[in-house]
Amino acid sequence: MIPDRFDKLSSILKIQLQSFPEHENYLKRRFSGEMLEQLEFCEFVAGMIFALTKDDIKTFCDDYAWLSRMVIDEEVHFRRHSRYRLSSFAEAFEQVYSNNPFMTKYMNGLLMTQLWWRNHTEVLRFFRDSFLAGGGKDRDCVEIGPGHGLLLGMTVASDGCRSAEGWDISEASLANTSKALADLGVDLTKVTMREVNLFNAPEMQFDRIVFSEVLEHLEEPQAALQALFKICRPGGRIFVHAPVNSPAPDHLYLFRTPEEVVDMVSSVGFEILDTRFEPCTGASLARARKLDLTISAAVVARRS
Amino acid sequence: MNEISRDAILADVTEVIRDIFDEYEGPVTPDLNAAKVPQWDSLAHVQLMVLLEKKFGIRFKMSEIQSFKNLGDVIASIENAQER
Repeated sequence: MIPDRFDKLSSILKIQLQSFPEHENYLKRRFSGEMLEQLEFCEFVAGMIFALTKDDIKTFCDDYAWLSRMVIDEEVHFRRHSRYRLSSFAEAFEQVYSNNPFMTKYMNGLLMTQLWWRNHTEVLRFFRDSFLAGGGKDRDCVEIGPGHGLLLGMTVASDGCRSAEGWDISEASLANTSKALADLGVDLTKVTMREVNLFNAPEMQFDRIVFSEVLEHLEEPQAALQALFKICRPGGRIFVHAPVNSPAPDHLYLFRTPEEVVDMVSSVGFEILDTRFEPCTGASLARARKLDLTISAAVVARRS
Repeated sequence: MNEISRDAILADVTEVIRDIFDEYEGPVTPDLNAAKVPQWDSLAHVQLMVLLEKKFGIRFKMSEIQSFKNLGDVIASIENAQER
Protein backbone atom coordinates (compact mmCIF):
# COMPACT_ATOMS: atom_id res chain seq x y z
CA MET A 1 0.00 0.00 0.00
CA ILE A 2 2.92 2.37 0.84
CA PRO A 3 6.47 2.27 -0.61
CA ASP A 4 8.95 0.97 2.02
CA ARG A 5 11.02 4.13 2.03
CA PHE A 6 8.19 5.94 3.82
CA ASP A 7 9.12 3.99 6.89
CA LYS A 8 7.28 6.01 9.55
CA LEU A 9 4.05 6.01 7.58
CA SER A 10 4.40 2.30 6.83
CA SER A 11 5.05 1.53 10.51
CA ILE A 12 2.00 3.42 11.75
CA LEU A 13 -0.14 1.89 9.03
CA LYS A 14 0.90 -1.60 10.09
CA ILE A 15 0.02 -0.88 13.73
CA GLN A 16 -3.30 0.66 12.70
CA LEU A 17 -4.25 -2.36 10.62
CA GLN A 18 -3.41 -4.71 13.49
CA SER A 19 -5.73 -2.66 15.67
CA PHE A 20 -8.48 -2.19 13.07
CA PRO A 21 -8.18 -4.84 10.33
CA GLU A 22 -11.63 -4.12 8.90
CA HIS A 23 -10.30 -0.69 7.92
CA GLU A 24 -7.90 -2.12 5.33
CA ASN A 25 -10.04 -1.39 2.27
CA TYR A 26 -10.64 2.16 3.45
CA LEU A 27 -6.94 2.79 4.00
CA LYS A 28 -6.03 1.24 0.65
CA ARG A 29 -8.43 3.67 -0.94
CA ARG A 30 -7.10 6.55 1.13
CA PHE A 31 -3.56 6.10 -0.23
CA SER A 32 -4.34 4.92 -3.76
CA GLY A 33 -3.28 7.42 -6.36
CA GLU A 34 -1.37 9.64 -3.95
CA MET A 35 1.42 11.63 -5.59
CA LEU A 36 4.99 11.52 -4.30
CA GLU A 37 4.72 14.94 -2.66
CA GLN A 38 1.56 13.84 -0.87
CA LEU A 39 3.24 10.69 0.47
CA GLU A 40 6.26 12.75 1.53
CA PHE A 41 3.94 15.02 3.49
CA CYS A 42 2.22 11.99 5.03
CA GLU A 43 5.66 10.77 6.13
CA PHE A 44 6.25 14.17 7.75
CA VAL A 45 2.90 13.95 9.58
CA ALA A 46 3.64 10.37 10.61
CA GLY A 47 6.92 11.61 12.10
CA MET A 48 5.05 14.20 14.16
CA ILE A 49 2.54 11.59 15.31
CA PHE A 50 5.35 9.27 16.42
CA ALA A 51 6.91 12.17 18.32
CA LEU A 52 3.59 12.87 20.07
CA THR A 53 2.58 9.30 20.83
CA LYS A 54 6.03 7.83 21.59
CA ASP A 55 5.66 4.24 22.82
CA ASP A 56 1.89 4.58 23.07
CA ILE A 57 1.07 4.55 19.36
CA LYS A 58 -1.03 1.38 19.70
CA THR A 59 -3.38 3.13 22.14
CA PHE A 60 -3.86 5.98 19.66
CA CYS A 61 -4.58 3.49 16.87
CA ASP A 62 -7.08 1.68 19.12
CA ASP A 63 -8.72 5.00 19.92
CA TYR A 64 -8.95 5.81 16.22
CA ALA A 65 -10.77 2.50 15.68
CA TRP A 66 -13.10 3.42 18.56
CA LEU A 67 -13.72 6.87 17.04
CA SER A 68 -14.48 5.40 13.61
CA ARG A 69 -17.17 3.16 15.10
CA MET A 70 -18.50 5.90 17.39
CA VAL A 71 -19.15 8.39 14.59
CA ILE A 72 -21.42 5.89 12.84
CA ASP A 73 -24.23 6.72 15.28
CA GLU A 74 -23.76 10.42 14.55
CA GLU A 75 -23.78 9.70 10.82
CA VAL A 76 -27.06 7.79 11.07
CA HIS A 77 -28.67 10.68 12.95
CA PHE A 78 -27.30 13.24 10.50
CA ARG A 79 -28.44 11.34 7.42
CA ARG A 80 -31.93 10.75 8.82
CA HIS A 81 -32.57 14.25 10.14
CA SER A 82 -30.22 16.47 8.05
CA ARG A 83 -28.91 18.14 11.20
CA TYR A 84 -26.36 17.55 13.92
CA ARG A 85 -27.58 15.83 17.08
CA LEU A 86 -26.57 18.63 19.45
CA SER A 87 -27.19 22.34 19.07
CA SER A 88 -25.97 23.92 22.30
CA PHE A 89 -22.59 24.20 24.00
CA ALA A 90 -24.24 23.20 27.30
CA GLU A 91 -25.30 19.87 25.78
CA ALA A 92 -21.83 19.30 24.33
CA PHE A 93 -20.24 20.08 27.68
CA GLU A 94 -22.55 17.72 29.52
CA GLN A 95 -22.26 14.85 27.05
CA VAL A 96 -18.70 15.21 25.76
CA TYR A 97 -16.36 17.83 27.22
CA SER A 98 -16.96 16.94 30.87
CA ASN A 99 -16.38 13.24 30.21
CA ASN A 100 -12.61 12.94 30.60
CA PRO A 101 -12.16 9.28 29.55
CA PHE A 102 -14.31 9.94 26.45
CA MET A 103 -12.36 13.10 25.64
CA THR A 104 -9.00 11.35 25.91
CA LYS A 105 -10.01 8.64 23.44
CA TYR A 106 -11.69 11.19 21.18
CA MET A 107 -8.62 13.46 21.07
CA ASN A 108 -6.30 10.49 20.48
CA GLY A 109 -8.48 9.29 17.63
CA LEU A 110 -8.67 12.75 16.10
CA LEU A 111 -4.88 12.99 16.05
CA MET A 112 -4.77 9.86 13.90
CA THR A 113 -7.33 11.34 11.49
CA GLN A 114 -4.66 13.85 10.47
CA LEU A 115 -3.11 10.93 8.63
CA TRP A 116 -5.96 8.54 7.87
CA TRP A 117 -8.55 11.06 6.65
CA ARG A 118 -7.25 12.35 3.35
CA ASN A 119 -9.12 15.65 3.68
CA HIS A 120 -7.43 16.34 7.02
CA THR A 121 -3.94 15.63 5.67
CA GLU A 122 -4.51 17.73 2.57
CA VAL A 123 -5.76 20.68 4.62
CA LEU A 124 -2.67 20.40 6.80
CA ARG A 125 -0.54 20.50 3.64
CA PHE A 126 -2.48 23.54 2.43
CA PHE A 127 -1.86 25.15 5.83
CA ARG A 128 1.89 24.67 5.37
CA ASP A 129 2.06 25.64 1.70
CA SER A 130 -0.42 28.50 1.49
CA PHE A 131 -0.61 29.96 4.99
CA LEU A 132 2.76 29.40 6.68
CA ALA A 133 4.74 29.92 3.49
CA GLY A 134 3.09 33.27 2.89
CA GLY A 135 6.22 35.36 3.48
CA GLY A 136 7.02 38.01 6.06
CA LYS A 137 9.26 37.99 9.10
CA ASP A 138 9.01 38.82 12.80
CA ARG A 139 5.51 37.43 12.80
CA ASP A 140 3.52 37.20 16.02
CA CYS A 141 1.20 34.21 15.76
CA VAL A 142 -1.67 32.72 17.76
CA GLU A 143 -3.75 29.58 17.52
CA ILE A 144 -7.12 29.46 19.24
CA GLY A 145 -7.92 25.91 20.33
CA PRO A 146 -4.51 24.39 19.54
CA GLY A 147 -5.56 20.88 20.67
CA HIS A 148 -3.15 18.21 19.47
CA GLY A 149 -0.51 20.85 18.76
CA LEU A 150 0.38 19.91 15.18
CA LEU A 151 -0.58 23.28 13.66
CA LEU A 152 0.88 25.34 16.47
CA GLY A 153 4.07 23.27 16.31
CA MET A 154 4.34 23.84 12.55
CA THR A 155 3.64 27.55 13.10
CA VAL A 156 6.40 27.94 15.68
CA ALA A 157 8.83 26.10 13.40
CA SER A 158 7.91 28.18 10.33
CA ASP A 159 10.21 30.82 8.87
CA GLY A 160 9.49 34.27 10.21
CA CYS A 161 7.71 33.24 13.40
CA ARG A 162 8.90 35.54 16.20
CA SER A 163 6.39 34.49 18.82
CA ALA A 164 3.45 32.12 19.09
CA GLU A 165 0.61 31.86 21.55
CA GLY A 166 -1.86 29.07 22.18
CA TRP A 167 -5.24 30.13 23.58
CA ASP A 168 -7.86 27.84 25.00
CA ILE A 169 -10.66 28.02 27.57
CA SER A 170 -9.52 24.73 29.10
CA GLU A 171 -6.50 24.57 31.39
CA ALA A 172 -6.26 20.81 30.83
CA SER A 173 -6.25 21.29 27.08
CA LEU A 174 -3.49 23.91 27.33
CA ALA A 175 -1.40 21.51 29.40
CA ASN A 176 -1.85 18.81 26.74
CA THR A 177 -0.80 21.18 23.96
CA SER A 178 2.23 22.34 25.96
CA LYS A 179 3.35 18.75 26.38
CA ALA A 180 2.77 18.13 22.67
CA LEU A 181 4.93 21.11 21.69
CA ALA A 182 7.73 19.84 23.94
CA ASP A 183 7.42 16.37 22.37
CA LEU A 184 7.56 17.89 18.89
CA GLY A 185 10.81 19.59 19.86
CA VAL A 186 9.80 23.12 18.90
CA ASP A 187 11.50 26.20 20.34
CA LEU A 188 9.45 26.69 23.52
CA THR A 189 11.08 30.05 24.24
CA LYS A 190 8.85 31.52 21.51
CA VAL A 191 5.66 30.03 22.93
CA THR A 192 3.13 31.36 25.46
CA MET A 193 0.07 29.37 26.44
CA ARG A 194 -2.88 31.32 27.86
CA GLU A 195 -6.26 30.48 29.28
CA VAL A 196 -8.36 32.89 27.23
CA ASN A 197 -12.01 33.20 26.31
CA LEU A 198 -11.93 34.61 22.77
CA PHE A 199 -14.97 36.77 23.52
CA ASN A 200 -13.07 38.43 26.34
CA ALA A 201 -9.61 38.41 24.77
CA PRO A 202 -6.70 40.57 25.92
CA GLU A 203 -5.90 43.74 23.96
CA MET A 204 -3.40 42.11 21.62
CA GLN A 205 -2.98 41.80 17.86
CA PHE A 206 -1.25 39.16 15.76
CA ASP A 207 0.18 38.78 12.25
CA ARG A 208 -0.99 35.18 11.89
CA ILE A 209 -4.10 33.62 13.43
CA VAL A 210 -4.94 29.92 13.24
CA PHE A 211 -8.52 28.81 13.84
CA SER A 212 -8.83 25.21 12.79
CA GLU A 213 -11.81 22.96 13.46
CA VAL A 214 -13.34 25.29 16.05
CA LEU A 215 -16.18 27.07 14.21
CA GLU A 216 -18.34 23.96 14.05
CA HIS A 217 -18.16 23.60 17.85
CA LEU A 218 -19.73 27.00 18.42
CA GLU A 219 -23.33 28.15 18.64
CA GLU A 220 -22.48 31.51 17.06
CA PRO A 221 -19.42 31.07 14.84
CA GLN A 222 -19.76 34.46 13.18
CA ALA A 223 -19.29 36.19 16.54
CA ALA A 224 -16.03 34.28 16.98
CA LEU A 225 -14.81 35.46 13.58
CA GLN A 226 -15.66 39.03 14.53
CA ALA A 227 -13.54 38.63 17.66
CA LEU A 228 -10.70 37.24 15.55
CA PHE A 229 -10.90 40.20 13.19
CA LYS A 230 -10.24 42.49 16.16
CA ILE A 231 -7.09 40.62 17.23
CA CYS A 232 -5.75 40.48 13.66
CA ARG A 233 -3.19 43.19 12.93
CA PRO A 234 -3.88 45.17 9.71
CA GLY A 235 -2.10 43.23 6.97
CA GLY A 236 -2.22 40.10 9.11
CA ARG A 237 -3.61 36.77 7.94
CA ILE A 238 -5.98 34.18 9.30
CA PHE A 239 -6.27 30.46 8.56
CA VAL A 240 -9.77 29.05 9.08
CA HIS A 241 -10.62 25.38 8.66
CA ALA A 242 -14.13 24.03 9.23
CA PRO A 243 -15.84 20.86 8.06
CA VAL A 244 -19.02 20.76 6.02
CA ASN A 245 -21.63 18.02 6.61
CA SER A 246 -19.47 16.38 9.24
CA PRO A 247 -21.47 14.82 12.10
CA ALA A 248 -19.54 14.33 15.35
CA PRO A 249 -20.62 14.13 19.00
CA ASP A 250 -19.64 17.75 19.71
CA HIS A 251 -20.37 19.49 16.42
CA LEU A 252 -23.08 22.12 16.80
CA TYR A 253 -23.04 24.43 13.79
CA LEU A 254 -23.82 22.80 10.46
CA PHE A 255 -22.15 24.26 7.40
CA ARG A 256 -23.89 22.72 4.39
CA THR A 257 -21.48 23.95 1.70
CA PRO A 258 -17.84 25.06 1.73
CA GLU A 259 -18.97 28.40 0.35
CA GLU A 260 -20.87 29.04 3.59
CA VAL A 261 -17.56 28.87 5.47
CA VAL A 262 -15.84 31.23 3.02
CA ASP A 263 -18.75 33.66 3.07
CA MET A 264 -18.78 33.76 6.87
CA VAL A 265 -15.05 34.58 6.97
CA SER A 266 -15.60 37.28 4.37
CA SER A 267 -18.68 38.67 6.14
CA VAL A 268 -16.71 39.94 9.14
CA GLY A 269 -14.32 41.97 6.98
CA PHE A 270 -11.53 39.60 5.97
CA GLU A 271 -10.32 39.60 2.36
CA ILE A 272 -10.18 36.04 1.01
CA LEU A 273 -6.74 35.16 -0.40
CA ASP A 274 -6.94 31.42 -0.96
CA THR A 275 -9.33 28.52 -0.39
CA ARG A 276 -9.10 24.75 -0.46
CA PHE A 277 -12.06 22.37 -0.44
CA GLU A 278 -11.07 18.78 0.28
CA PRO A 279 -13.71 16.04 0.05
CA CYS A 280 -13.66 13.06 2.38
CA THR A 281 -11.56 10.03 1.48
CA GLY A 282 -12.67 8.29 -1.67
CA ALA A 283 -15.00 11.00 -2.97
CA SER A 284 -14.54 13.61 -5.63
CA LEU A 285 -15.60 17.13 -4.72
CA ALA A 286 -18.52 16.83 -7.16
CA ARG A 287 -19.70 13.58 -5.56
CA ALA A 288 -19.28 15.01 -2.06
CA ARG A 289 -21.43 17.98 -3.01
CA LYS A 290 -24.06 15.78 -4.67
CA LEU A 291 -24.39 13.39 -1.70
CA ASP A 292 -23.80 15.96 1.08
CA LEU A 293 -20.62 14.16 2.17
CA THR A 294 -18.00 15.72 4.39
CA ILE A 295 -15.86 18.42 2.81
CA SER A 296 -13.08 20.18 4.69
CA ALA A 297 -13.16 23.89 3.88
CA ALA A 298 -9.94 25.81 4.48
CA VAL A 299 -9.58 29.55 3.99
CA VAL A 300 -6.61 31.90 4.08
CA ALA A 301 -7.73 35.51 4.46
CA ARG A 302 -6.23 38.91 5.25
CA ARG A 303 -7.24 41.94 7.25
CA SER A 304 -6.56 44.86 4.94
CA MET B 1 -40.63 -14.32 -0.25
CA ASN B 2 -42.65 -12.98 -3.14
CA GLU B 3 -40.45 -13.04 -6.29
CA ILE B 4 -42.23 -10.14 -7.96
CA SER B 5 -41.92 -7.78 -5.01
CA ARG B 6 -38.34 -8.87 -4.44
CA ASP B 7 -37.44 -8.04 -8.05
CA ALA B 8 -39.19 -4.69 -7.80
CA ILE B 9 -37.29 -3.86 -4.62
CA LEU B 10 -34.00 -4.94 -6.21
CA ALA B 11 -34.67 -2.62 -9.15
CA ASP B 12 -35.18 0.34 -6.81
CA VAL B 13 -32.17 -0.64 -4.70
CA THR B 14 -30.07 -0.88 -7.86
CA GLU B 15 -30.98 2.69 -8.73
CA VAL B 16 -29.69 3.89 -5.34
CA ILE B 17 -26.55 1.74 -5.57
CA ARG B 18 -25.70 3.15 -9.00
CA ASP B 19 -26.19 6.67 -7.66
CA ILE B 20 -24.11 6.37 -4.49
CA PHE B 21 -21.37 4.04 -5.80
CA ASP B 22 -20.74 5.73 -9.12
CA GLU B 23 -17.44 3.92 -9.75
CA TYR B 24 -19.01 0.46 -9.48
CA GLU B 25 -20.04 -0.98 -12.83
CA GLY B 26 -20.57 -4.65 -11.89
CA PRO B 27 -23.89 -6.44 -11.49
CA VAL B 28 -26.20 -5.52 -8.64
CA THR B 29 -27.48 -8.81 -7.27
CA PRO B 30 -28.63 -10.00 -3.84
CA ASP B 31 -25.16 -11.33 -3.02
CA LEU B 32 -23.51 -7.91 -3.55
CA ASN B 33 -21.74 -6.67 -0.42
CA ALA B 34 -19.21 -4.11 0.74
CA ALA B 35 -16.24 -6.34 -0.06
CA LYS B 36 -17.07 -6.12 -3.78
CA VAL B 37 -17.50 -2.34 -3.97
CA PRO B 38 -14.44 -0.23 -3.11
CA GLN B 39 -16.54 2.87 -2.36
CA TRP B 40 -18.69 0.93 0.14
CA ASP B 41 -16.99 1.82 3.44
CA SER B 42 -18.65 2.15 6.85
CA LEU B 43 -19.83 5.72 6.33
CA ALA B 44 -21.04 5.00 2.81
CA HIS B 45 -22.93 2.04 4.28
CA VAL B 46 -24.84 4.41 6.57
CA GLN B 47 -25.52 6.77 3.67
CA LEU B 48 -26.82 3.87 1.58
CA MET B 49 -29.06 2.61 4.38
CA VAL B 50 -30.62 6.01 5.02
CA LEU B 51 -31.14 6.64 1.29
CA LEU B 52 -32.96 3.30 1.14
CA GLU B 53 -35.01 4.22 4.23
CA LYS B 54 -36.12 7.39 2.50
CA LYS B 55 -36.82 5.68 -0.81
CA PHE B 56 -38.97 2.95 0.72
CA GLY B 57 -40.44 4.98 3.60
CA ILE B 58 -39.12 2.59 6.25
CA ARG B 59 -36.73 2.70 9.23
CA PHE B 60 -34.05 0.03 9.75
CA LYS B 61 -33.04 -0.89 13.30
CA MET B 62 -29.46 0.08 14.21
CA SER B 63 -28.74 -3.60 14.83
CA GLU B 64 -29.88 -4.39 11.29
CA ILE B 65 -27.75 -1.64 9.77
CA GLN B 66 -24.72 -3.12 11.48
CA SER B 67 -25.48 -6.75 10.63
CA PHE B 68 -26.66 -6.84 7.01
CA LYS B 69 -24.31 -9.23 5.21
CA ASN B 70 -25.37 -8.39 1.66
CA LEU B 71 -28.10 -6.76 -0.42
CA GLY B 72 -30.22 -9.88 -0.06
CA ASP B 73 -30.50 -9.22 3.69
CA VAL B 74 -31.38 -5.60 3.01
CA ILE B 75 -34.05 -6.52 0.47
CA ALA B 76 -35.58 -9.07 2.86
CA SER B 77 -35.78 -6.42 5.58
CA ILE B 78 -37.39 -3.92 3.20
CA GLU B 79 -39.92 -6.52 2.11
CA ASN B 80 -40.74 -7.40 5.73
CA ALA B 81 -41.17 -3.73 6.59
CA GLN B 82 -43.51 -3.21 3.64
CA GLU B 83 -45.63 -6.20 4.65
CA ARG B 84 -46.10 -4.90 8.21
